[in-house]
Amino acid sequence: MDKLIIGRYLPGDSLIYRLDPRLKFLITFYFIGIVFLANNVASYAFLLVFVLFAVYVSKVNLLFFIKGLRPMFWLILFTVALQAFFTPSNDPIWHWAFLTLSKDGLVIAAYIFMRFVLIIFISTLLTLTTTPIEISDSIESILKPLKVVKFPVTQVALMLSIALRFVPLLIDETTKIMDAQRARGVDFGEGGLIKRIKAFVPILIPLFVSSFSIAYDLAIAMESRGYKDGEGRSKYRVLNWSKRDNWTIVFMVLVTAILLLLRSYR
Amino acid sequence: MMVTSLTKSISEISGNRDTNLSNDFFLPKGEQMENIISIKDVFYKYPGSDNYAVNGISLDIKANEWISIVGKNGSGKTTLTRLIDGLEECESGSIEIDGVVTDEDTIWDARKKIGIVFQNPDHQFVGATVEDDVAFGLENQGMPRDEMITAVDRALKMVDMQDFKKRDPQSLSGGQKQRVAIAGVLAIKPQIIIMDESTSMLDPEGRKTVINLIKQLRTEQNLTVISITHDIEETQLSDRIIVLNSGKIVKDTVPADLYNLGPQLIEYGLEEPFTNLVAAGLQDVIDFDGYITEKGLIAKLCELNSKK
Repeated sequence: MDKLIIGRYLPGDSLIYRLDPRLKFLITFYFIGIVFLANNVASYAFLLVFVLFAVYVSKVNLLFFIKGLRPMFWLILFTVALQAFFTPSNDPIWHWAFLTLSKDGLVIAAYIFMRFVLIIFISTLLTLTTTPIEISDSIESILKPLKVVKFPVTQVALMLSIALRFVPLLIDETTKIMDAQRARGVDFGEGGLIKRIKAFVPILIPLFVSSFSIAYDLAIAMESRGYKDGEGRSKYRVLNWSKRDNWTIVFMVLVTAILLLLRSYR
Repeated sequence: MMVTSLTKSISEISGNRDTNLSNDFFLPKGEQMENIISIKDVFYKYPGSDNYAVNGISLDIKANEWISIVGKNGSGKTTLTRLIDGLEECESGSIEIDGVVTDEDTIWDARKKIGIVFQNPDHQFVGATVEDDVAFGLENQGMPRDEMITAVDRALKMVDMQDFKKRDPQSLSGGQKQRVAIAGVLAIKPQIIIMDESTSMLDPEGRKTVINLIKQLRTEQNLTVISITHDIEETQLSDRIIVLNSGKIVKDTVPADLYNLGPQLIEYGLEEPFTNLVAAGLQDVIDFDGYITEKGLIAKLCELNSKK
């Protein structure tokens, strides 16, 4: 469970860490959008330079990002192979039955690979430099307009932050239950797929039971501390929009402009 | 054997005496404090259960008193505190907190006067960081942010956890987590603090710090402490011990009188105090007259040594 880099926060301090989480959150999604605008070597190269620059500014070791690619490895390989071998072409380099390898196909495969790398790097950058609670605060702030249509934004945000807060506790609980079941002779590592899946049933049921009892305890504790519903509450954590956030927006506008420019060169 | 049974019967007589005279007996006239909690004929049973979890309890608790509630599991200790905080609604009877009878309208004000520290430190942490958690109760009251910042700092300072402000709860020890929970309770400036077996999941060191902290805060903040516990040492700090059994108060007495019950304590979910065990072992050598405090025991032992 420790291997997963995606969704993990890495304590640190740099310009990227200090940016308003709402801005980081929105920029990440914006960037994922503009990745699809890139259409030639120059534009992809430019986006890669942008991402590497962001990584450099964040002062996070590049190795973390490469590790972040690992869980996606098979998906990337599969998609890239699909593009490389199934792109129809009149001028194939190599041809066998329904598989065609061509220059066009390879280029498209390379682009797809770049898209994966760019999107995974930028989203890893978001989660490595932003605490889960900052992300949940950002979501609350971004969803605020939905209050007009009676969407319970504050409650959903509290739910989200409590859920995040209890993830490590539930991981502990899972480890404990797994150890207890192992002590009773359950083997999680062996047998076929079906057998392994079945072995997880004796983990899931106690885990559900203990989650419910934790939820009950927490609800009692929250009520005793005066939690009624989302309304009438003040907020201790606030997000501060500062000048550097404005500059980041200007910078992003420039990035977009350059991207559009590069895109038009064919 | 003769001696033990004799002490037992003496203690039973003295125990009963205290039940009748209650604690007014120990306070000089004119200094009797106001009741901060007044419970009258309260009955409660859990939905789907046939037995009353709280079976006609009447109890007055004075301001600044330290009360221990003891009893076996399922004797109704936790249920009683939940009724006090309005987390469960009693079937009949009334509960008065600081002179106000609690009902649906007044309970939210009553809760501001009561803070509960629960048993499992992990199951009461709402915030993602220490400071967030301490602020939770204040956020619920809608306190403006700048006031909250000072209140959170003040509360963390009281429990000596100010250096851990930004920490993630997962990185704290059990004792530290309970101190944060106490800070969260203190932030709302309660008059009553209920410890619902708050030290039972801690190691001896964590337990000691938490108990000492409560002891110190009680004097500083003029708190009324209600402590549910199985720990005999914790009960020694209290002014009064209430023993519950099947939802009823079976004893309401001062610690020394309860400890005189000797091995009978086990029936109430308590162990015998260490001094009792020593005294029982030495009864042929030294003449003990009922329960003896640790200081008293040391004095007797020193005496014994000098006689030789």
